Amino acid sequence: MENLIIEETKYTPQIEMNAKEGNIKIVGKSYPENTFEFYEPVMKWLEVYFNGNAKKQTILNLEIIYFNSSSSKLFFDLFDLLEEFNSKNLIMINWTYDEENESALEAGEDFKEDFENLTINLIVK
Amino acid sequence: MDINKIQNIVKQDGIVFLTYGGFLSQALISGMTEALEQEAQNSELNMGDSSNIFTIFIELSQNMMNYSKSKDKNEFKSEGLILVGKDEKHNYFIHSQNIIAKEDKDSMEPKLAEIVTLSKDELKKRYRELRRSGANTHGKGGGIGFYEIAKRCEEIKYKFTEINENRYYFHFEANLTTK
Repeated sequence: MENLIIEETKYTPQIEMNAKEGNIKIVGKSYPENTFEFYEPVMKWLEVYFNGNAKKQTILNLEIIYFNSSSSKLFFDLFDLLEEFNSKNLIMINWTYDEENESALEAGEDFKEDFENLTINLIVK
Repeated sequence: MDINKIQNIVKQDGIVFLTYGGFLSQALISGMTEALEQEAQNSELNMGDSSNIFTIFIELSQNMMNYSKSKDKNEFKSEGLILVGKDEKHNYFIHSQNIIAKEDKDSMEPKLAEIVTLSKDELKKRYRELRRSGANTHGKGGGIGFYEIAKRCEEIKYKFTEINENRYYFHFEANLTTK
């Protein structure tokens, strides 16, 4: 399975999805002009990956400095998708936030509460 | 046109460091956000406060961009205006104004009327409910965007002013105190 790499821009994060290692990284700012279009390849990749290509353990590292509300919805949909595959896969999510960035911490806490079945670690930077 | 008039307004109303009236594109929004990042750095704002300012600015300006994109350019000129400023006590304010259709006013107004009555905790709860339900989460009409804004500031104010039966001015204001 192909890896998916999307380079960072001023308003979209660096995305690295490595199928061989089961490592996914989304780091940066997220306020695309069309959020759902922008993340479509990410969602598709995850579908393909978890349908027969997943490693024993999958680690998702998320570090979003700030984001618009449609990205917030998109991350919700992303967690929703992960939850779907969570029973048959070992999935670990690391939500990294800056110590001073209360909103980023709060966003992580909300996701943790909304997705009780997922393993979401809140990691202070 | 005397540009000094603008300069005087800027001086009078505190340090308005960013104002723009006209057609908004994604490239412009991201350029202005960069300018805000610079301002945050110069004013030594902490990351929490600055990310709240960026988020509110992005939310409002992308809303305005979506309006100007979706409307018939001849009928709805993008007479939008957005500004970010701060007073001497380093409280920040973000104001926006744009023209919207009556149908959008009708979908925004009840949400905004609800938002101003909610406490911070109620806002957070409502935001998550709406995000989960998936309804109205993107596109025009306010979605969860105004809840996101209200979560991140001390106070919002809004007003609709009728232009004619189909068009309204939408004025919006968010006020933030910083640490």
